[in-house]
Amino acid sequence: MFEKNYLGRVYWRLAGVIMLCVVVALAVVSYYSHRVFERELVPETEQKAATVAASVRALVLKAAGYGVPFDQLYGVEQTFREVVEDNPEFDFMALTDLEGRVLYSHGKEPVGARPHFRQPSVLAVGLDPTATWKAAKVEDQFFVSMPIASDRPLGMLHISIDGKFINNVLLEVLLDVVVVLVVSLFFTLELLNFMAGARLASGLGEFSQQVQRIRSGDFTATARMRANDEIGRLLRRIDSAVDHLNVRYESITGELDQKLRSAVGARREQLRPAVEALEALRARFRFGAAAPGASGDEMNLNRIRAPLFAFILAEEMTRSYLPTYVNQLLVDIPGFSPQVVIGLPIMLFMLIVALGQPYLGSWSERVGRRTAMLIGAAVATVGFIATSLAFNLYDLLLWRSLCALGYAMVFVAAQGYVLDRTGQANRAQGFALFIGAIMVATVCGPSIGGILADNIGFRAAFAVSGVMAFLSILAILKLPKVELKLASARPSRAPRMREIMALIVNKRFMTLTGLAAMPAKIILTGVCFYLVPLYIVSIGNTSAMAGRMLMVYAVMMVMIVPLSASLSDASVRRDRYVSVGLMISGLSGMLLLISDSFLVLFGVVFLLGLGQALSIAAQSALVAEHCQEEIRIYGNDAVYGVYRLLERLGNALGPLIASLLVIFWGYQGAFIAISALVLFCGIAFTIATRGPAWTPEPAAGDD
Amino acid sequence: MGTIRFRFICVALVVSFFAVGMAAFLNYFKYKSTIAGIAKTRVLLVGRGIENSVLASLQVGMQFAELSQLTQLVQREKTSDRLVKGIDVFDTDGKILYSTDLARVGDKVPAQWIGIANRSKNNEWSVEGAQEHMAGISVRNAFNLTVGHVGLRYSREEVDRAAAVAGREILMAALFSFLGIALVAPLALIVVIRRFERDLHALETATSRLEAPGTPAASTGSAFDEALGQLRGSLADANRSIDGVRARLDAAG
Repeated sequence: MFEKNYLGRVYWRLAGVIMLCVVVALAVVSYYSHRVFERELVPETEQKAATVAASVRALVLKAAGYGVPFDQLYGVEQTFREVVEDNPEFDFMALTDLEGRVLYSHGKEPVGARPHFRQPSVLAVGLDPTATWKAAKVEDQFFVSMPIASDRPLGMLHISIDGKFINNVLLEVLLDVVVVLVVSLFFTLELLNFMAGARLASGLGEFSQQVQRIRSGDFTATARMRANDEIGRLLRRIDSAVDHLNVRYESITGELDQKLRSAVGARREQLRPAVEALEALRARFRFGAAAPGASGDEMNLNRIRAPLFAFILAEEMTRSYLPTYVNQLLVDIPGFSPQVVIGLPIMLFMLIVALGQPYLGSWSERVGRRTAMLIGAAVATVGFIATSLAFNLYDLLLWRSLCALGYAMVFVAAQGYVLDRTGQANRAQGFALFIGAIMVATVCGPSIGGILADNIGFRAAFAVSGVMAFLSILAILKLPKVELKLASARPSRAPRMREIMALIVNKRFMTLTGLAAMPAKIILTGVCFYLVPLYIVSIGNTSAMAGRMLMVYAVMMVMIVPLSASLSDASVRRDRYVSVGLMISGLSGMLLLISDSFLVLFGVVFLLGLGQALSIAAQSALVAEHCQEEIRIYGNDAVYGVYRLLERLGNALGPLIASLLVIFWGYQGAFIAISALVLFCGIAFTIATRGPAWTPEPAAGDD
Repeated sequence: MGTIRFRFICVALVVSFFAVGMAAFLNYFKYKSTIAGIAKTRVLLVGRGIENSVLASLQVGMQFAELSQLTQLVQREKTSDRLVKGIDVFDTDGKILYSTDLARVGDKVPAQWIGIANRSKNNEWSVEGAQEHMAGISVRNAFNLTVGHVGLRYSREEVDRAAAVAGREILMAALFSFLGIALVAPLALIVVIRRFERDLHALETATSRLEAPGTPAASTGSAFDEALGQLRGSLADANRSIDGVRARLDAAG
């Protein structure tokens, strides 16, 4: 289809220009902020240096008061070192005599310091009994000089403020600004799709369909409302041309019928060529009214993307700070370690989603996908707002349960919306769109959530999630009210207990599920949702940093999954991708054996993202490939239903396992142990999938 | 202006508003937290001096409630930084034993302060109030047991004033940046989507003459040429067929 790549190219060009404008604007804002920071923060830091200097001066005077000569004081450098260590913006301290000679100092002496100490204007401050302190800029350093005098002047204390400290403060902001830039790029693409692209794609798609229809000789008229834009106008013109043909056809048919009714004998013979020509026309072309069917707009899959993105974003925004927020609301639960209690809301959330989804699928089919999404988003909105007002852990669990229920409802209904509007031919495309919206939300959510939580607090950040969920309701309201289902579609059902029991004792099925799918989810939720946010905060970092880390994971998924999916499909050895992916994920946590530095943690998340991205696409395809016998016996729905159920139970187990490991071995030990578990599963999976039973067969369809 | 162009410009403006707004928000909060951190450090430095004096007295066997010189000391320390509005020294139950404001002696501090002090991982803690901020130091004896707290009340006015000044300037910079984008982005977008608009225009023009007899299916150079050619050909074919029927009908009289 011409319009797909064509529009894609247009989008990327537009996104490029918008990003260029945004980068320039961000540079302007950052430049002016730097000027404001320098102008306002330097005097405040000088005031702080003066307060520190006054404190040090008191110690010096105390010692001098005991009769210790000013040039023989003990422990001055030690005190200076402590001050510089406690205040990173100070990089040098010195005590000079009345002639500006350095008696004691600590830190790297800045260029021009000694000449500055000997300047008459500085020395005059030391001799002035009324002077408090003096600030001066020397090269790119700021000096605060304070006289030391008891009954007579003794010398001067100098503190040097690193001229780059403003840059250091702004460097932290810069990291967040880069995050904002990445998020803006994704927002641009989503908004292009939502505000213009969905209608454009739908309009151009319909134009293409009309061309195909007319080419095939179908001139039946469609009575559709067209948008008043460029595409709508051209579709109206095509409709008008078709209508005109239909009018001509009707006119000729009517005239011929009338003549035939009154014609007899030779007159009929005269009309025969016209009758034959009309029959030939009817054989080649179809005229009249088109059968009523779904309009392009109602079939438009793109329309689900915006509400799904907004809703998932609301939940993803909480990932980077939820455990830290729970930590604040912690109450003692007898018999439970605080580490386990912190993981409880995540576990409960995952459990509700896992157990709810199989049953909510058929429910959303009954009440309608749009209605189900509306109910789910409304329930989650209440959950988010109530979570922001939570009193303690107990009510927090209740509100998070509402969020989980809403999440499961919206997820399942959106999935159903895609299923209802796709057949075998375009299902993969439909799910690519569905997963795309989720992945973009996964990239944007944790980082933005972390930034918000750091700056406006956890509760306000949860309220923002509530607003986002509410916005998703507005977007859901714009979905078509007409429920559709393709004729080929079958009603969905939850797996039955006997099917679950039969499949969990099935060796082949459990090799794929127990050794690959579940461990992958355990390490995902255990590490990304539980350990990373808590560990990062425990080593003195912020929720924003946790968000950036989770963003690295999501970016890896967005970049690698499409590539690994096509490569694994092409190679027909999906099991190898799963093995390699699991082993890379398993090795990720082992990096912490080398060091617990921040860079190593970055490496852990990077490797985990890489490993998951390599294995995730191939995992579910392997079920269809190697469980054909099970699918024949129990049906595709049941096999994939149980597979998804167990996979999501892995999601719920992740935080539980991670929290138990933290109790025994601390954060680093938990990272290593959970990775070792996945590495073991990866090796076991590799061994189990060797041999003729696992020889690749032609790819079958997915769920 | 075409509606599609208008929508693209809207997207540019929404994204720019988000990005510039977030950058301004981040810079403002970074400034506020930095300035608040500097103020708190300054106040805590004063508190450290008092803590050292208290610890020295405890080490020579004096009781926390019997430090007779402490009232003078806190009054002297209060004057060392204009930011400090008052200093309270209180026991673990929250009862104020010494204060720069003598009327407060014997009163109880809010229970929230004690809760926050107890939850603090190190011996420094802070509370943000509507009028005043509080920076505190928990005084721990040689056995690492908390015997009391030094609380330093300081005005939030100075921090708020500095944040308001910086906030105003950052906001102005953000507004000017956004206005700049609002002027430049539409022009840049128009240049970029010119080809797309030309294609759409060609398509619109071509569809306006779909049935015009004898109009050649000239190439417009757009991406839709092939589809348009097929459309025109099919319509012309159908029209010719209907013309054929009409000719036979007319010939029959």
